[in-house]
Amino acid sequence: MLHVENLTASIGDTSILKGLNLDVGAGEIHAIMGPNGSGKSTLAHALAGRDGYEIGGTVTLDGVDLLEMVPEDRAAAGVFMGFQYPVEIPGVNNMYFLRTALNSVRRARGDEQIGASDFLKGAQDAMDLVEMNHDFLYRSVNAGFSGGEKKRNEILQMAVMQPKLAVLDETDSGLDIDALRVVAAGVNSLRGPDRSMIVITHYQRLLDYIKPDFVHVLVDGKIVKSGDHTLALHLEDHGYADFVNHDLDDAPLTGAPA
Amino acid sequence: MNQAALAFRSAALEQMASLTLPTKRDEAWRYAPHKALGQLTFGPATATDAVLGDIDSQIPHIDGPRIVIVNGVVDSAQSQLDTLPAGVKLVSLAGMPADLVESALDRQHDTIDDAFSIINRAYGEGGALLMVDGRPAETIHIVDIAVPDVSQNASASRVVIAMEAESSATVVETRIGHSDAFGGSNVRTEISLAADASLEHMILQDLPTTQIHLGRVDVMQEAGSTLRARLFNLGSDYGRVAYHVHLDGEGAHADLSGLYFGFGTQTLDQQITVVHSAKNCTSRQSYRGVLDDSSTGIWNGGVDVRPGADGTDSEQSNDNLLLSRKAEVNTMPRLEILADEVSCQHGATVGQLDDAALYYLRSRGIPNEEASRLLINGFADQMMDDLESDAIRSWITERLGHDDA
Repeated sequence: MLHVENLTASIGDTSILKGLNLDVGAGEIHAIMGPNGSGKSTLAHALAGRDGYEIGGTVTLDGVDLLEMVPEDRAAAGVFMGFQYPVEIPGVNNMYFLRTALNSVRRARGDEQIGASDFLKGAQDAMDLVEMNHDFLYRSVNAGFSGGEKKRNEILQMAVMQPKLAVLDETDSGLDIDALRVVAAGVNSLRGPDRSMIVITHYQRLLDYIKPDFVHVLVDGKIVKSGDHTLALHLEDHGYADFVNHDLDDAPLTGAPA
Repeated sequence: MNQAALAFRSAALEQMASLTLPTKRDEAWRYAPHKALGQLTFGPATATDAVLGDIDSQIPHIDGPRIVIVNGVVDSAQSQLDTLPAGVKLVSLAGMPADLVESALDRQHDTIDDAFSIINRAYGEGGALLMVDGRPAETIHIVDIAVPDVSQNASASRVVIAMEAESSATVVETRIGHSDAFGGSNVRTEISLAADASLEHMILQDLPTTQIHLGRVDVMQEAGSTLRARLFNLGSDYGRVAYHVHLDGEGAHADLSGLYFGFGTQTLDQQITVVHSAKNCTSRQSYRGVLDDSSTGIWNGGVDVRPGADGTDSEQSNDNLLLSRKAEVNTMPRLEILADEVSCQHGATVGQLDDAALYYLRSRGIPNEEASRLLINGFADQMMDDLESDAIRSWITERLGHDDA
């Protein structure tokens, strides 16, 4: 489904992704783990289409070239990114935003528009999935939401958008254990044979709840090790030290996982 | 005309002889189009022959009393003055009974005289007088229409609002123009709030972009009174509204807010001064601007705390969104404090569309242009968050060309 080959990303003279290869099959969940500064979030943004990077290599989704597309076209092609830091948008109400988003991708795909009342039903089901109070539909997007509410809102959006490929960037950061359980349950319920997911995280903890088919270790812009979920357990015990070779001593690996 | 009104106007007419228009050197008029201002021609109010047609399509549909002023003359046919709520007197200034003249026209506000105020005093004999002694539920609508004429292209009119003690009302002034010819309007609003009175006052400025609007609002507030003044400054080539609010009784409160949204080569100018001259008064100024194309916004907001106005609490904010490289905004918070135990805060921001927010919306499939519009509307709509009237809200959103979320 997703094919990533020799992906490079840089900002100015700083190269961040240095030839990354990854294949994600339909229905699979892949976890990407790695120390701070290894390029995890850059990978997510490179897939979602954020401006400002020099990108090289190949990324295709079901054979379609994603790299040439602007972010909205990637969303229409089925890509969804769950943000590590969801953006607050005062003045834009959550329901209006969600319906505009859904109808935009439907329009791009040539599907019919969804009316307000049909949309509301679907949105309320999605809210129940992430145990969100329905009032949140009428509040401004993420404005004044707590960390946990923002992350639930990301999963809510994912449930509404029904993407082919979900890239969840540190969806567990800033969550207490109860919120983590709710978010993970939401993600699990969205698993399906036609939906692939890339779950980016620092911690093994999230992977207790969302069990990945594969785990990859990202260090200094490359995947240095891949394995099954037991690799995550190894990382939990030993950290990333095993994978950071001496050539990389100068690499910006500042800061332990917070 | 009765004696008092005559005396008032003849003094102004005398001043007319030596009238000098404001220049770039006058701070309050610095960004005004001085050449165009010099081309406005005023004269005594005269009814127009122009056929206005359907004005309802240009103004919000507000149920309730309405007075329509065309070139300074009340248009009875367009007005709805038959069934006024209890405690409301709404009449044409020109036909006003003599006993009301003095209170309505000869107020000794803390007057800043400029040429256009003098012109208004000289020629602004027509307009509306609203006196409220009660708490009417219906919104009172005052519509001012400028119709450029061959003999004089600009009109002068006046709105006088007197709120008796403990009264409460909502008043909307909609200001529009007819035809695309050059011209404009000069409207002076004088508001007095007696003790514990409360007024929600709104100006919807939407003259054609070939015209000029010069609005000025003077407010005198007594103890415990509350003013909520909102401005939606949208139309005109040069759209100016100046407020001068005087908090003259203990514990008075003024809450002023507004939105200006410029396109093309519009210049939208808000000049605000709130004077605190009594103890424990509070004031709020909160204005937002969106400037597109080559438009210019001006926000000049002042708080003047006079000696003895201890316990003053004021806040000012002005936030602007520039949508084009050629758009411009000039924001000037001013503070003068001559009292003790005073809390005055102010802040101003000028920014562009937030790239992170734009990317977030686009990552959800919303095309760039629509995402921008969503963000712009989101920014502007916050000035309508606590607007109770759906009619006015939908008029504004329609006027700004977007769906009401």
